[in-house]
Amino acid sequence: MIGSTIYNWSLIWTYHGQLLDGLFVALKVALTALVLSVAAGLVLAVWRMARPPISWPAALYINIFRGIPALVSAIWVYFGWSLVLGIKLTVYQAAVVALVLLYSAYLSEIFRAALLAIARGQREAGLALGIRRRQVFVRVIIPQAARIALPNIGSMLIGMVKDTSTFMVIGLVEVVYVSENIVNATFEPFVIYTAAAALYIFVAFIIDFVFRVLESAVGGRASGRMAMLLTARRRRRLERLAQGGSDVAEIYEPLGAV
Amino acid sequence: MGVRQVGKVEYGNERSVVPNTINGAGLARDEGPPAVELCDIHKSYGTVEVLHGVSLTVRQGEHVVIFGPSGSGKSTMLRVMNLLEVPQSGSVKAFGVEYGSARGNGVVRGTALQLRRTVGMVFQQFNLFPHLTAIENIVLPLRKVKGLSRKDAEARAADGLQSVGLRKWAAHYPGELSGGQQQRVAIARALSLDPRVMLFDEPTSALDAEVVGEVLIVMRKLAEMGMTMVIVTHELNFAREVGDLNVFIEHGVIVESGNRNIYDSPVSERTHRFLRAVL
Repeated sequence: MIGSTIYNWSLIWTYHGQLLDGLFVALKVALTALVLSVAAGLVLAVWRMARPPISWPAALYINIFRGIPALVSAIWVYFGWSLVLGIKLTVYQAAVVALVLLYSAYLSEIFRAALLAIARGQREAGLALGIRRRQVFVRVIIPQAARIALPNIGSMLIGMVKDTSTFMVIGLVEVVYVSENIVNATFEPFVIYTAAAALYIFVAFIIDFVFRVLESAVGGRASGRMAMLLTARRRRRLERLAQGGSDVAEIYEPLGAV
Repeated sequence: MGVRQVGKVEYGNERSVVPNTINGAGLARDEGPPAVELCDIHKSYGTVEVLHGVSLTVRQGEHVVIFGPSGSGKSTMLRVMNLLEVPQSGSVKAFGVEYGSARGNGVVRGTALQLRRTVGMVFQQFNLFPHLTAIENIVLPLRKVKGLSRKDAEARAADGLQSVGLRKWAAHYPGELSGGQQQRVAIARALSLDPRVMLFDEPTSALDAEVVGEVLIVMRKLAEMGMTMVIVTHELNFAREVGDLNVFIEHGVIVESGNRNIYDSPVSERTHRFLRAVL
């Protein structure tokens, strides 16, 4: 009877172990996929920024895989690859690969935008100092681009965690898979799925917090208590070096001067 | 022979055959060994040629000032000297090593990386790395180029900042410094790598009037110490003070060059017109 239904909220406590196990699997898949996607996305971004004929494969890849839903990707990788290509992946591997295929495409566009936002003079200054191209990219360009890209990478990670929910179709024992099992035993879908939703929201908040801290800790003066804590050692060392300085310019004899 | 060659040399096109005057006492200048030599440099962007075969010899210990209207190619010419701009043709030599496209028997060839480790550069927009503090801006190249340990690089960078009066600001980010301070950090950064030549690309053009002076003081000290300098600038009063060789360039061609008298009694009508407009 509607209105008089009594929800058994204590079920959440009864099954919290299973739900958290499911969440752990989801996070493991999402985080593994994130690390791989960031690496692949960076390669794709640089590749796509190359001269036109060379950049085409990257552009094609990006446009294909941005257009595929996670569910389709998982089925295609898990069942399709084993049927057609004979590549048999475990459920966990297939889930990671399915996410990396999609999110490397998304992330590459985020990275491309971030890299393009760095002024040309930054690269030129690095090169003019005699720093090798690769080092200029790694030490000068990437850290600055990272600060621009970080908020978007956080959003992508939240998306990845949510997309793992579709992987129950290939048998990944994540939050939705676990929830479905509990519902079959308890006939309390509303309670269990509310708990599942709460878990996803909780994770989203945590990810948001972590990325905010990271964002304010890299690429410039740290702001916020956590970021200050993370960078405290480096800051103290630099401030020690500043001590004993005077305002008088004392140009020393440069070694190269004639 | 014995007269240093400025502007057009033996081979080249008609356009650059211009009043290639050695102004007055320029002939009597000390002739040190060459530091940087540009010879018949042609540089185009797409189909537009911006340098029409310029040649210039910068001698060791000399202060060369390049001036001219905007779009004349003066910055491009400077940027060819460390191959930030790669010329279509011509020879770029530094301390006897060839870095340009010219080929010859027994010519020692170097890479752009080696050239840039000999020639330092200061930019109009400072181009400090905004994600690093003042001192880290100097530590990074010291570690990557000189291979110093962090401790040594930091000690050296702190000295470098002291040399431009900014050690107190070591832990500050570029965004927290004034334009003049940023440019001084940029100068200290370039100097810390012991360059044999310093290139200045309009180092004061992006600065507020009241901080131009502090940058010029540092540059003047550097000049007094005998650093070889090539300066693209609009600060003609400063140029008059330090310029051993003063080069007027227009439309990608060296019109006239000579000693400081160029500012008071230019030979070319075009130089005269430009100077009357800016001084």
